[in-house]
Amino acid sequence: MAIDSLKRIALFVVFCLAQALVLNHIHLFGWATPLLYVYFAITFPRNYPRWGILLWCFFLGLSIDMFSNTPGIACGSLTAIGFLQPFLLEPFIPRDAAENIETSAKALGKGKFSLLAFLLVFIYCLLFFTLESFTFFNWQNWLLCTGCSTVITLILILTLESLRR
Amino acid sequence: MRNLLDFLRRYYHWFLFLLLELISGVMLFKFNSYQGSVWFSSANVVVGKVYELEGMIGQFFSLTRINEELTLRNFYLERQVTQLRRLYGDLTQDTTVIERNELQFLNRYNLTSAKVVSNSLNRADNLITIDKGSLDGIRRDMGVACGNGIVGVVYLVSSHYSVVIPVLNVSSSRISCSIRGRGYFGYLHWYGGDPAIGYLEDIPRHAHIKKGEWIETSGYSAIFPPGVLVGRVEAVYNSRDGLSYRLKVRLSTDFGNLRDVVVISDNSIVERTELEKTAQDSLSMKLKK
Repeated sequence: MAIDSLKRIALFVVFCLAQALVLNHIHLFGWATPLLYVYFAITFPRNYPRWGILLWCFFLGLSIDMFSNTPGIACGSLTAIGFLQPFLLEPFIPRDAAENIETSAKALGKGKFSLLAFLLVFIYCLLFFTLESFTFFNWQNWLLCTGCSTVITLILILTLESLRR
Repeated sequence: MRNLLDFLRRYYHWFLFLLLELISGVMLFKFNSYQGSVWFSSANVVVGKVYELEGMIGQFFSLTRINEELTLRNFYLERQVTQLRRLYGDLTQDTTVIERNELQFLNRYNLTSAKVVSNSLNRADNLITIDKGSLDGIRRDMGVACGNGIVGVVYLVSSHYSVVIPVLNVSSSRISCSIRGRGYFGYLHWYGGDPAIGYLEDIPRHAHIKKGEWIETSGYSAIFPPGVLVGRVEAVYNSRDGLSYRLKVRLSTDFGNLRDVVVISDNSIVERTELEKTAQDSLSMKLKK
């Protein structure tokens, strides 16, 4: 339990630094920005206390916002994802699974994990870019940013997952 | 109470979620200028509407009190007026001076009713004949009006009939009119065509005129008392030389339907015209010298 929390804290710090130092500077074609830290929110195990998920996501979002100078945007979106994650995880769990099954490609199967990741990443990017632009004036830009960021984030997440044992 | 606590215990993550989203929202609107400005402007509208509603309701409930206050004030002011009148009477030894002043204003104008016996609309120089003449006290240059507005000026008088030059006369009609409430004045002309449209010339360009404003007589000529209705502004044009405005006026009098008119005689007209004539004469004498 304690070691899990320590692992989480380490992951937290690593994601913050990676995003701030490396990934925030990548803007492919001007639209696609990888938002890898959503992986943190996706991989909460089943039955992890909901208040715990919410608080972790809130503080991760807060740190990312502090580094990216986008106050409130990642915070609000990530908290929403943290809220939705338990609900969206339920349909993907195989019937005979353990109580605290971890959310990974190994436990759920590659296809299911990819679909879950895609859903959560897509909702996250939608929320993020809606809060960021806050207007439908330039809706093509908004949709392109959402779509392309979803794609590149998903690619990175699946890569990361495949590197996991 | 226990049900409430149960409810809270089961759904506490909803409340936590809402709280955290609220904190994110506050950060979003406070530290981002664009989002903050959107929030600010829409919040202002909502807050403004709520305060307006509150003001209306509050105002409605305080009406009885305001009514009472106004009645008291009225009573007090009436008593004050009576007292002042008495004081003034004592001072000038004349207790009926106020009534006399009011009647004096009305005394200035004599109204003689008459009927139109001949009318025309389709000529350039139209004339109206009425059935009162010099034996009824009608003189040249008296103003004629009807229930809806002005009609014209008396031109020729015989013992039993008079000829009136109406507004609908291209060569001779020049009524001095002003815009109600604004005071700008000009002369009303008619150029033929529609018997309900006249043109008010020489309105200065710094006057802000709107469609629908009322035009009435200015009282600057000795013919009509001030405030007799003429018509309404229908359009504003530039004058031919571009230096002033020209207003298209829809006349309030229906010249096609004219039967009953009233001849206005101003008792001070004689003195005024004499004075004005003397002034003109003396000025032209000075120029000749």
